[in-house]
Amino acid sequence: MNFKPLGDSGLLISFGEVIDEETNDRVHALAGAIEKAGFEWLVEVVPSYSSLAVIYDAKLIDFEGVKQAIERIEFSAERFEGRLVEIPVLYGGEHGPDLEFVAEYNGLTPEEVIEIHSRPIYRVYFLGFLPGFAYLGGMDERIATPRLEKPRLKVPAGSVGIAGEQTGIYPIESPGGWRLIGRTPLRLFNPSRKPPTLLRPGDRVKFVPIDEEEFKELYKAEWGHEND
Amino acid sequence: MIELLRVPSLLTVQDSGRKGYRKLGVPVSGYMDDYSARIANYLVGNPCDAPLLEFLLMGPTIKFNASAVFAVAGDVDVKLNGAPVDPWTSYWAKRGDVLEVGVLKSGLYGYIAFAGGIKCEKLLGSCSTYARANLGRPLSEGDKLTLGYAILTGKEGCRLPEELRPDYSAEEITVGVVLGPDLDHFTEEGVRMFLSEAYTITPESDRMGYRLDGRTIEHSEKGAGIVTGPLVPGTVQVPPNGKPIVMMRDAQTTGGYARIGVVSNAYLHRLAQLRPSFKVRFREMSVEDARNELFKKEKTLEAIRLFLEGRLRAYRIKAGEKSLIALAGKV
Repeated sequence: MNFKPLGDSGLLISFGEVIDEETNDRVHALAGAIEKAGFEWLVEVVPSYSSLAVIYDAKLIDFEGVKQAIERIEFSAERFEGRLVEIPVLYGGEHGPDLEFVAEYNGLTPEEVIEIHSRPIYRVYFLGFLPGFAYLGGMDERIATPRLEKPRLKVPAGSVGIAGEQTGIYPIESPGGWRLIGRTPLRLFNPSRKPPTLLRPGDRVKFVPIDEEEFKELYKAEWGHEND
Repeated sequence: MIELLRVPSLLTVQDSGRKGYRKLGVPVSGYMDDYSARIANYLVGNPCDAPLLEFLLMGPTIKFNASAVFAVAGDVDVKLNGAPVDPWTSYWAKRGDVLEVGVLKSGLYGYIAFAGGIKCEKLLGSCSTYARANLGRPLSEGDKLTLGYAILTGKEGCRLPEELRPDYSAEEITVGVVLGPDLDHFTEEGVRMFLSEAYTITPESDRMGYRLDGRTIEHSEKGAGIVTGPLVPGTVQVPPNGKPIVMMRDAQTTGGYARIGVVSNAYLHRLAQLRPSFKVRFREMSVEDARNELFKKEKTLEAIRLFLEGRLRAYRIKAGEKSLIALAGKV
């Protein structure tokens, strides 16, 4: 474990610059142990791939104090496994305008891209970037495709995209440069729900292809109105 | 209740921000200038984190549909029913009164606080607006806002002496920064450049981040990309083009560009008030010094609160041309 200041109220703990499940298990195990310890100076913990930030109230404790408190914490990095969440996706068409491009770029048919994308069980390494955005690991490199030259100004919430060797879902409408291959009718971020995000760190994700009709039905159930 | 008759710029409800949801990707948000915002709340007798209005450059016109005590924080002309009144001072508005807040003469963000705060639905524990995720939305003309219940307890006639008002007019400032955590992604020359050059705020700056222009900061052979990791407001990221970006209150929670340093919270409000084309310099600070600066800022704000509550007295001291003020003792 390597400790560094992240400004005057943050401490960064790093397990090295790697992306693998074992390291990420340790990140989440330590994050959980810190949250459980009940420190009054703790504001919050922000986990990522191989590092986590501990945000503290600098009025109550200094950097050295936080460091020593964390060094004393005992934690075992057990396999961190959340739930298996199935994400229905309508691939291609108006919701996946780049599916053809991803297929062509990789010398595949659109059906093969869908098959390759929806086969693995992905791991949610952590949430970041946007509320409810999951950093997923485990995409097959046969469908890896570079980002758009020029990002779209508006990508609808639920869009499923590919950027390099990553895949992900836009939780809310935002600008974005990922290649869009489909869209889920599920709401990934809903502030009035508890917890507000559909996915949580450690969850496993499986994409399930659906058709237009299922999409419409699920969309209405999830959002309370028709998709326009 | 108050009604917004005119909303010329970005007008949002903010409080001290959202805590505990960063691990779900939800930014902190909250007032860009916590110093001014907290004083605005103190002027009307509120706790520091009561929800208030934040405006960008130009203030709104507001009609009071019930009496209320208010105060405006910012270097700005304020009119109540057409007659000039002072900023940094609390007034009692009656039903039917109209408050006009003009254009900031210096600084970028101004605040309007109401005794009792603005009543609003807390989303994920805060009233702070983060419109991208439907956590509130920017306000527009015709919107009506309900004020909190403490209306009758707010007192008018609280005034912050001119000597104690923050001065946001300087076109170049220096802010303290704690270096790291990704120093190994920069050459020694790159770090030296960052700590010695002045960087200009560009117009592509907003509540999420301030993009800076200036001499290119050189990355080491490790490059600009890192394994995506956590960020806090104040973090200075340097993308491949070598131009730094300072993350502000609406900062994303994680990022993939090397972090050369983090602006101390004691200076972040000052940086927030820096206009595009103005310049910032970064001065290295140890974590301990940054924490001491934070204590100093807290101490000043606490003294101001006690003074406004009538529990400390202000003593004017003449120092040559300058008039200073010291807060001390009990009344």
